[in-house]
Amino acid sequence: MKQKKLAALLIVVFALASVSLCQTKERSLLLKNGNIITISGENIQGGNILIQGKKIAKVGKNLETAAGTDVIDLKGKWVMPGIIDSHSHIAIEGGVNEMGDLITPEVDVKDVINPEDINIFYALTGGVTSIHTMHGSGNPIGGRGIVLKLRWGASAEEMIFEGAPLTIKWALGENPKQTNFSGPGRARYPKTRMGVEASIRKEFEQAKDYRREWDEYNQKVKESKGKKALPLPPKKDYRLEVVADILKGKYWIRCHGYQSEEMLSIMRLCKEYGVKLVCFEHGLEGYRIADELVKFNVADSTFADFWAYKWEAYQTMPQAPALMAKRGVLVALNSDDAERMRHLFIDAAKTVRFGGLSELDALKIITINPAIIMGIDKQVGTIEAGKDADLAVFNRHPLDPYTVCEMTLVDGKVYFDRAKYIEDWKKAEEERKKKEEEAQKPKEKKNGGEV
Amino acid sequence: MKKITLLTALVLLSVLLFAADSNSRFLIKNATIIPVVGEKVENGDLLVEQGKIKAIGKGLQTPEGVQVLDASGMFIYPGFIDAFSRFGLVEIGAIASTVDIRELGKENPELRVAWALNPHSVHFATSRINGTTSALVAPEGGTFPGLSALVKMDGWTFPEMQVKEVATSLINFPITPRPPREGLSAQQETKEDVTSKLVEKIKEYLAEARHYLKLKKLASENANLTPPPHNPKFEALSPVLDGTLPVIVSVEKAKDIELALKFVQEEKLKAIFRRCAQGFRVAAKIKQAGIPVIIDSLYQGPSEPEDGYDAPYKNVAELAKAGVMICFSSGDDPALGKDLTYHAARAVAFGLDHEEAIKALTINPAKIFGVDGRLGSLEVGKDADFFITTGDPLDLRSEVKHLFISGKHIDIANWWDTLYNKWKARPQK
Repeated sequence: MKQKKLAALLIVVFALASVSLCQTKERSLLLKNGNIITISGENIQGGNILIQGKKIAKVGKNLETAAGTDVIDLKGKWVMPGIIDSHSHIAIEGGVNEMGDLITPEVDVKDVINPEDINIFYALTGGVTSIHTMHGSGNPIGGRGIVLKLRWGASAEEMIFEGAPLTIKWALGENPKQTNFSGPGRARYPKTRMGVEASIRKEFEQAKDYRREWDEYNQKVKESKGKKALPLPPKKDYRLEVVADILKGKYWIRCHGYQSEEMLSIMRLCKEYGVKLVCFEHGLEGYRIADELVKFNVADSTFADFWAYKWEAYQTMPQAPALMAKRGVLVALNSDDAERMRHLFIDAAKTVRFGGLSELDALKIITINPAIIMGIDKQVGTIEAGKDADLAVFNRHPLDPYTVCEMTLVDGKVYFDRAKYIEDWKKAEEERKKKEEEAQKPKEKKNGGEV
Repeated sequence: MKKITLLTALVLLSVLLFAADSNSRFLIKNATIIPVVGEKVENGDLLVEQGKIKAIGKGLQTPEGVQVLDASGMFIYPGFIDAFSRFGLVEIGAIASTVDIRELGKENPELRVAWALNPHSVHFATSRINGTTSALVAPEGGTFPGLSALVKMDGWTFPEMQVKEVATSLINFPITPRPPREGLSAQQETKEDVTSKLVEKIKEYLAEARHYLKLKKLASENANLTPPPHNPKFEALSPVLDGTLPVIVSVEKAKDIELALKFVQEEKLKAIFRRCAQGFRVAAKIKQAGIPVIIDSLYQGPSEPEDGYDAPYKNVAELAKAGVMICFSSGDDPALGKDLTYHAARAVAFGLDHEEAIKALTINPAKIFGVDGRLGSLEVGKDADFFITTGDPLDLRSEVKHLFISGKHIDIANWWDTLYNKWKARPQK
């Protein structure tokens, strides 16, 4: 199986091996003569980016560089911060939904990262450099997610984005109530939006009781210092441990939900329990409650125009992201899909056409905005000195309909280079053809004619 | 449910309010006209009468009673044709009562889209906004999903929409399954001989149909013979087998395409291929067979990782360069019908000539479906199906300002605009 995997990744690995050979620690790299979309400030035409090690050292025109600096001439191409996808399910081994139970915060995507998922490479070819890969939406309180940097070729552990906040997935509506599922073994509480919210509340109360029991026990231990008879500890429950930590604010809540009323309701619940609700996932009706979202300081990670696949995804429009952004909501466009991930820049362009976002705001929606939602905006999301050198190079403006991503860097290292890729692909294709032709040739008969 | 009814009412109301009389005469002035067939006309005029294009040229006289539309600085293109869609068959994918696309069983060659299509699906209006004026609508599933229809993207009833009640038959060719996209583990590839065996089954079915038709013919010529009991499935295959009705063969891998080429040649079918994800490997052979290709939605990854990450995009250019006649389609999701132009733009970004891309949205599908006498270009006498746009129609920042279908000035506003106008006016909280 392993060999098969390797064979399938041959082209990619070839490309990477040759790139990574030239990489050394703390080297300097100058990207010169690019049209730099900084996001944080003005665009710089014919600008340079100096990278030292993994970080952006300087951005500007006519930068002085030390001897021995590697140089990539961008020849007027466009460079923007690496695209960030705040809602993805790639690089997960096996299923993304723990459907065996209703409340499952004890499961963690971190434990099942698959660093060999080819979709990581495909994402890089679309300029994506960081992702939040998460548990599915089958459970009111689902599993924990993880933020990754797409260091293709690295181990699972090495891909984890250092310092990113811990997240947990919640889900409302049709998925947790299993509206669109059928077949045997599918009857499960809840079947209504009421039941979904009730399950969350019930779990919170249980977690509070659980925490109290432990607090009381710990107090007793303290008090019994020196005495021989220690109190019996309560039963350890890993699920309630996490739920109790949610109530303590340890996790950033990412709540899947479509309808505006269920969103409002869960906002009330979070206020009541003091839970840190960071972002609604999809939130296709978020445009209806834009001001409420702003007031509650909750973001919406949504689609550009994916809709009508189910009832709760029907009352929406491609103008929704722009409408929300214009009313002050922190909006991100996410993929939720390995394929959409490759063209998030097209999705961003749609917010210009539908609802009239400015080009800068359209690009923020796939860079700094998701970075803020993921709590990694100090490290990535803009092109500024001191930030990680995660960059995407496009042959035209990234919102141009004919744009092509030509190069993607993570931590100052080139992980995708289209020119090199094409070269390697052609070689591999020649090899493949040769093998195929040989396989089809009739085998020569050694003894001349047969009788 | 209530909401759906309300929605339908809204759509109907907007049609009532805005639909102009299809007998109206229009003169569009001062536009850059791209007729697709023939030379571009700068600062040109276009006259519409009785649903047809009456005249194209510079400085046309303004007949009396004609509505004049000044299109200075804008561009006129023939309406785009979506060569494979599910419009009017699927409203909301997850709600079974709004889905009429797939019948039970594998062999349903007699089923007609014409019997089920809902002309008032919201997806017609939302999919017109980038210039689509006609679409092929096809059912799915099994080996013989049924008969597609070619329709205009406007009409009160199906008969009013239809360009061809029956446009093509359909065959889903067996597909050697692609490795799953999530990781490369699991699922062994189907062996080639399995595919061949499945093809044999299709051939056997067609042979049965031929036999039935032969017995029927013999009985019609000889009163002593009893005709076989009526078989609607074989009846429906009759025009396919005599080569008068084209059949869309959905096929994906290079090896499957080679098998399909052999299959349609042996069966003497008038074939149109669809998908052809690995078509770039056998483009010359497709060209040699003279078979056109319907490109599927480009929102998909490579068939296999070895094809290259960019295979779906470059495949289009490679087919066109080999001389294969191609056309674009929005594919399986009617809710993303407007993205037809974005697929074309992706293909252009990866090497397809822009002019070819426009042809693949207009005259090529018209020729492929045998309606180039009516659709696919701006020529005198053809249906007045066209749109007026602010720029390059493949650029998603351009905006279609006016759309005409059969000479009718169509209201561009749709379900999205209804929502947008309502909610953007919600008072600040």
